[in-house]
Amino acid sequence: MRTFWALVAKELVAFFRSWGLVAVVLYSFTLDIYIAGKGIELQAKNVTVGYVDDTGGGISLKILSRLHRPEFRAPRRFLNQKALYNALRNREIMVGILFDPEFERDYDRNGRATLNILLDAVSATQSYQALQYLQNILLDLSDLNLPVRLKIHKLFNQNSRTSWFMSLAEMLSVITLLGVILTAAVFVREKENGTWEMMLLMPVDSRLIILAKSFSQVLILMVGVVLATGLVLFGAFGLPINGSLGAFFFLSLLYSFTSAGIGLFVAAASRSMLQVAQLAILIMMPLIFLSGAWTPIHAMHPLLQKLSLLSPLRYYIEGSESIFFRGTPFWDLWPYFAGVLLLGGALYLYGFRKIGRLF
Amino acid sequence: MKLGVVKAYMLKEFRELIRSRLIVIVYLLPTMIIILFGYGIRMEVTHARTLLIDNDGSKLSMELAAKFEHSKYFNTREMTVSEEEALHRIKTAKADLLIVIPSGFERRLLHGVRTEIGVFIDGAFPVRAQTLAHYVTGVLYDAASRLSLHPPATLISLNVRNLFNQAMRDEDAIVPGLIGLILLVAPAILAALLIVKEKEEGTIFNFFSSPVRKSEFLVAKLTPPFLLHSVNIFVLFLWATWLFQVPFRGSFILYLLAAELYLLSSLGIGLLVSIVTRTQIVAIVLTVIITIIPGFLYSGMLMPISSMSGESKIEAHLYPVMYFNHIVYDSFLIGQGLDSPKIRLYLLILAFYGTGLLLLGSVLMKKELQ
Repeated sequence: MRTFWALVAKELVAFFRSWGLVAVVLYSFTLDIYIAGKGIELQAKNVTVGYVDDTGGGISLKILSRLHRPEFRAPRRFLNQKALYNALRNREIMVGILFDPEFERDYDRNGRATLNILLDAVSATQSYQALQYLQNILLDLSDLNLPVRLKIHKLFNQNSRTSWFMSLAEMLSVITLLGVILTAAVFVREKENGTWEMMLLMPVDSRLIILAKSFSQVLILMVGVVLATGLVLFGAFGLPINGSLGAFFFLSLLYSFTSAGIGLFVAAASRSMLQVAQLAILIMMPLIFLSGAWTPIHAMHPLLQKLSLLSPLRYYIEGSESIFFRGTPFWDLWPYFAGVLLLGGALYLYGFRKIGRLF
Repeated sequence: MKLGVVKAYMLKEFRELIRSRLIVIVYLLPTMIIILFGYGIRMEVTHARTLLIDNDGSKLSMELAAKFEHSKYFNTREMTVSEEEALHRIKTAKADLLIVIPSGFERRLLHGVRTEIGVFIDGAFPVRAQTLAHYVTGVLYDAASRLSLHPPATLISLNVRNLFNQAMRDEDAIVPGLIGLILLVAPAILAALLIVKEKEEGTIFNFFSSPVRKSEFLVAKLTPPFLLHSVNIFVLFLWATWLFQVPFRGSFILYLLAAELYLLSSLGIGLLVSIVTRTQIVAIVLTVIITIIPGFLYSGMLMPISSMSGESKIEAHLYPVMYFNHIVYDSFLIGQGLDSPKIRLYLLILAFYGTGLLLLGSVLMKKELQ
């Protein structure tokens, strides 16, 4: 056991001596997550609107006055349709509203009218949302006289804050990426320096060496996870935690071993740091793609759905979302733990045997 | 500049690229990124797993339920479970949406008394939740205005023309933006690596001590990534138009010209990175950090530039990716080409960035140990 801790300590010292690596890890676990959470805004905001108004201005002004922040920017007036269309093509505005005389006449005469909208649909999601906003405004203005009302509850994230989702998703990808690269780097650096054979020839069980080396990197990862959760997720973005924080850390620990396992495999297959970077990217991208971070799994092609069962990140992401947002009780989390444990165990074992069989 | 020296040096670079199998990455990576992200980012919501609890069981409530069952947006399952049990299913991520029709729904409706339908949406992914909320509202308003005994007093409906992307396809919105991201990241990494590799292995001293001039060295180092990635401009174009079926409405010459100029600025970024770093791994990480995030944020892929404000608007204007992507989106979806003064201006800015960054890099690079 003493040998084990000595080896772990050696790796930790080596890590802290390479200040470049420390800086990269710190950056990834703090600023990078912060930038992703703050910067990536999927919700349409500040939508730019232009309009041409050929009416007397009763109803059109009423509609325009409802377009305000944070959803819309103050509408810009254009003199004719051609100018409006040009602004749309130059992507200066996203929504063009045409108030023509017929619109006003129809509205005044029988209360029903159709409003012509030109929509720049290049960024499809945002355009669609802008359209939703507009529709809601018009429904609000209209007197529908409906006997049914909807009571919509958006569970777990009532105000639809994108930053909650984005910061969590980014943290999970950072753990994956660093887990693989850090672990692979510890071994490959020794390979590059030619000291790996020496390590394996030492009068210490080589399995203990591999275990200690990967464990030291898992430790670094876990410190990063705690830092990021405390400072960025809770501190900067105020994420809710509806489940148990302990469960999340436990799941993260298991997952760190999984990504360390991938790192072991990468290390076994490459001879230089350059190859590590290449292999890591090639393995990571399908992993992230199949995890359901961006596309919900049940919306994927059936074949991909089956394949996604093989991505340990899938269980980790779903599990973490469940803990943070859905507040799933601990015992209902077992599929995620089982998934990470099974895949992680297999990957770790495989990498473990591969790197030990060097000579 | 001696052409013979440049040629010999360049040949060496090409040979090394092939021998170290780095060439595989040069062509595999861009293709992989565009395919994975092109298929991977889906903002459109379909087949939401919907649970419907009909506590009324009347004719009207069944009609309403049928509306949800016949929509491609919902995979509706009608269940006779308690609300609690159904909420538990959302909590364990087995359902996205729960609709509860109250008992006495038909009776109250026929008497003209207001009733309320409960909708519960899993909000873990906020945009998806909002879209779902809108779908449900749409279905319900549509059904209710037909069931309703009293016609609406006033009603303004929308007649929308979707310009440039009629079907609002995610592919059209995302794939052209990916080209801007890939052509920023990949050439920068390659250019940085080619120079830093010599630094890390110590072979850069051969250059320091030989009569090869700085300009010759730079041309020899930067031409291979430029030529190799010029091929990628075509490859990515083919993936976009052939695999993802993105329309191309502008001029190919303009796209090509803008892409080549943009390549120059990516190479410039790689050159600058290679000046400040000493090891390959740090060079890769640094390039990734300074290119991927702005490449995503300011690409116009997820958020239109016109919606930005404050610092993010200024930052977007500082990175070349915004100018290039404006031209790319125009070439693919809008098709104004050089008729638009904005595009002529942006092309000039790209040329300025390309030459400016390369010049800066070659001034800062020293032919001696720093």
